[in-house]
Amino acid sequence: MTAERLMLLAAILAFLLTIEFVRKRTLREKYAVAWLLVATGLLILGVFPQLIMLIADQARLAYPSAVLFATLGMIYVFSMSVSVSLSRRRHASLKLTQEVALLRYELETLRAQIDGRTNVADHESTESGSA
Amino acid sequence: MPSTLIVIPAFNEEAALATTIDNLQFLSDDYEVLIVNDGSADQTRSIAESTKTSSRLKVHVLSLAINCGIGVAVQTGYLFAVRQGLYQYVIQFDADGQHPAEDIPRLVEACESQGLDLCVGSRFLDLKRSGYRSTFLRRMGIRFFARLVSGLSRTKVTDPTSGFRCAGPRAWKAFARRYPDDYPEPETLFWCARHRMKVGELAVSMSARQGGISSIRIKHSVYYMLKVTIAIFVDRIRRKEPLQ
Repeated sequence: MTAERLMLLAAILAFLLTIEFVRKRTLREKYAVAWLLVATGLLILGVFPQLIMLIADQARLAYPSAVLFATLGMIYVFSMSVSVSLSRRRHASLKLTQEVALLRYELETLRAQIDGRTNVADHESTESGSA
Repeated sequence: MPSTLIVIPAFNEEAALATTIDNLQFLSDDYEVLIVNDGSADQTRSIAESTKTSSRLKVHVLSLAINCGIGVAVQTGYLFAVRQGLYQYVIQFDADGQHPAEDIPRLVEACESQGLDLCVGSRFLDLKRSGYRSTFLRRMGIRFFARLVSGLSRTKVTDPTSGFRCAGPRAWKAFARRYPDDYPEPETLFWCARHRMKVGELAVSMSARQGGISSIRIKHSVYYMLKVTIAIFVDRIRRKEPLQ
């Protein structure tokens, strides 16, 4: 199998994977847009393999270490953005967890106060009834 | 005596929690207890709830729905203190019973008499008193942080990792706004010193753990050292925050 065929196959898989994740609601459409663009790029390069040679010639990216550097750079940017958004999510969920615990405390305290009052009220009404 | 909240973070501490609360009962009514159950998987929550009726001191219980880490649990205590608005001092106290309750009034007294914003219970200030024994590596780690915090903040500290400490209103109100979610002690001590808060230490004793396992195990210690070192150095280059 040639590299071009492999790219074509990868593009189709990338499309299917993205659509599948959106279908299962595990991936937001917001991110699906970006991933579908990546898949489209792969597809175009897979269908027109001469394009990649053209780009390589134009950008002087004809030797392997430069290609490796460019690829790793892209992966780095993607992973870093995932780490940052994961940290933000963690912070948000910790804040929410704290808030829920504090609210539950306040709710239980209020409930106990209301129960105490209604018990007193019941007690008073039975007392006045017997008098 | 000013009113004081004793915050006890508890993650899977069913073995020791009840005894720890029992040992606090000699304290005066100026003290209230807050147990923060950090998403424990064992009976910690029901034991905590039952101490609400068995304890003479007023006990409050907060339960975090998921395990969030010691820093988040302690910070929940500071947030609670802000909402209640009743307390002068907030003390962090371990659930496993290794801190002697007798040292609690001494910590508050030290804050009162010296006007401290943060007073740390140190195991190393008076080794005869504390009777503290530990592995060589752990002592080296603690000494490393002591030198790091002392050197960068020009405030002498001997036990920056101690989880037994008393915070005055300036410190705990700042902690309520922002607090590291894991291994928070050295970093927050440094933060206080750098923000010109009055930081002090008091020699305390330390007994063996009654149950449970230390949150700092060997396999986490490398991460612990790196994380806290990075946190302190990065905090050093942050802009100072205005204190309210």
